[in-house]
Amino acid sequence: MKRRSWMDRQGWIGMTFILPNMIGILLFFIIPAIYSFVLMFTNYQFSNPNWQFTGLDNLKRLFHDDNFYASIKYTVIFLISVPVSMVLAFIVALFLNRSVYLKGVLRGMFFLPYISSGVAVAFVWMLLFQPSQGPINEMLRWIGITSPPGWFADTETAMYAIDIVQIWLMLGYNMIIYLAALQEISTEQLEAARIDGASTFKTTWKIVWPLVSPTTFLLMITGLIMTMKSFSIIQAITAGGPSGSTTVLSLFVYKTAFSYYDMGYASAISWFLFAVILVITVIQWIGQKRWVHY
Amino acid sequence: MNENAGNMKVKLPVTVIMFVLGLFMIVPFLWMLSTSFQTPAEVFNKWLPSSLNWSNHIRVWTGSHDFVPYYLNSLKISIVGTVGAVFLSALAAYGFSRTSFKGRDGLFVIYLSMMMVPPQVLFVPKFIMFNWVGIYNTHWALILPAMFSIFGVFMLRQFFMSIPKEITESAFLDGAGHYKIFFRLILPLAKPAIATFAILDFSWQWNDYENALVFLQSPKLYTIPLGLQNFILENNVDYNGMMAASSAAIIPMIIIFFVGQKYIIQGISSSAVKG
Repeated sequence: MKRRSWMDRQGWIGMTFILPNMIGILLFFIIPAIYSFVLMFTNYQFSNPNWQFTGLDNLKRLFHDDNFYASIKYTVIFLISVPVSMVLAFIVALFLNRSVYLKGVLRGMFFLPYISSGVAVAFVWMLLFQPSQGPINEMLRWIGITSPPGWFADTETAMYAIDIVQIWLMLGYNMIIYLAALQEISTEQLEAARIDGASTFKTTWKIVWPLVSPTTFLLMITGLIMTMKSFSIIQAITAGGPSGSTTVLSLFVYKTAFSYYDMGYASAISWFLFAVILVITVIQWIGQKRWVHY
Repeated sequence: MNENAGNMKVKLPVTVIMFVLGLFMIVPFLWMLSTSFQTPAEVFNKWLPSSLNWSNHIRVWTGSHDFVPYYLNSLKISIVGTVGAVFLSALAAYGFSRTSFKGRDGLFVIYLSMMMVPPQVLFVPKFIMFNWVGIYNTHWALILPAMFSIFGVFMLRQFFMSIPKEITESAFLDGAGHYKIFFRLILPLAKPAIATFAILDFSWQWNDYENALVFLQSPKLYTIPLGLQNFILENNVDYNGMMAASSAAIIPMIIIFFVGQKYIIQGISSSAVKG
């Protein structure tokens, strides 16, 4: 008698486990995704029931849309926050891993911004960065800078102010993951280097940093993707302003869809966003084999 | 490496420096709390209130636009959503890891690829679909999608796969079917992973702003993030009230964080390091 493996038994019952969840995924993910993809090729506007297929018109429009290019620019500035946050997080993780007391409390302090993200945090930062009266500019004036930046009120600096908030937000997340990776590094390798006379800085740079490169790679990819999807913080603080100078891609989709109800076009923009994320993910797949030291 | 047994000469000053940096990280929260207890005249002018002025907080909870309905809405949506997500994800995770049927792995790959789709892609079609079905501007528009979590399936499947086969094998030999094994054996073993996912998912639900913004229109249905923004739009020079409202919004998350810190951190680092 052929012995079937324990898993094969009642295989169809396995499907019943998945079914409830799958119905929802179908309804709320897969079908909307397909719908959105189709919408991209129409000129559907929510207020107007008459619509038709317009083929690649939306895509052509995208390539000639200055607002689109502007939002790409702002998105790129936004993405700078990812490597900056990671480097800072790595340094913090290094220290927290070895040279402190009260590690748990410190870890909590650095992680708190990430877990309490949201609209509330946005408003606090809005007040902190208030140009004329806020504490940050107060301090800048106190140390001698006579005309501190306008932060969220100034089209030149708004996006960078957002970056600062984002770095603050993500630092804890990156740090936690670096901490976990640092725990995995064996003491022997470090001891060997020490005995050979390497300084701490050299040990860190030549041994530790390469050893955590898988983590660095992972954080870079997930950080870029998370930041590209990020919407709430910017919407809450500036709603894309002033004068659209913080309208990154995710906000551009939202504005097009729900301020102008130009849903076909908005779908096209959103799929561009997806395409970028896809490219980043593919780079991860390939790059993982080539650039990461294992 | 765990070299925490370093010498005190290094550890003490480094600890101090780290604390100062840590303080920078939480300064926004401290400032928020401090301002919420101040009077309008003190805002921006003093770092600490001269006395604890509770009136701002009282106003947030009992004033004409009080926060109580927003809190109740958020609680309702987050709890129902999370309970649903945990249950359905656990079921699906079991199906994907400890049963076998044709196309199982292919289906899972489809699941995974959906994780890459940004929510912005889904807003427009869901908006149209929900309007058509009539759940736009109701809490169902938020609760229903929330009950289906791809991340949950991914994370719990990871965990279930690590449970040794011998445990379930013997149960099978005794004649138990999949469902019995799931409820009697696997679920109890998975309590830490489930707790981790539940806390993470609840916090995402609670903080969610995008979905509420797109799918809710009537103020009485607003969740906390929307309610907070509404409050601020209506009282835009009342900085003390703003900060009191913000504290009210953040405090539950801070409590959950302190209570569930171990789980949250573990959940995030393990799913990232292995992922």
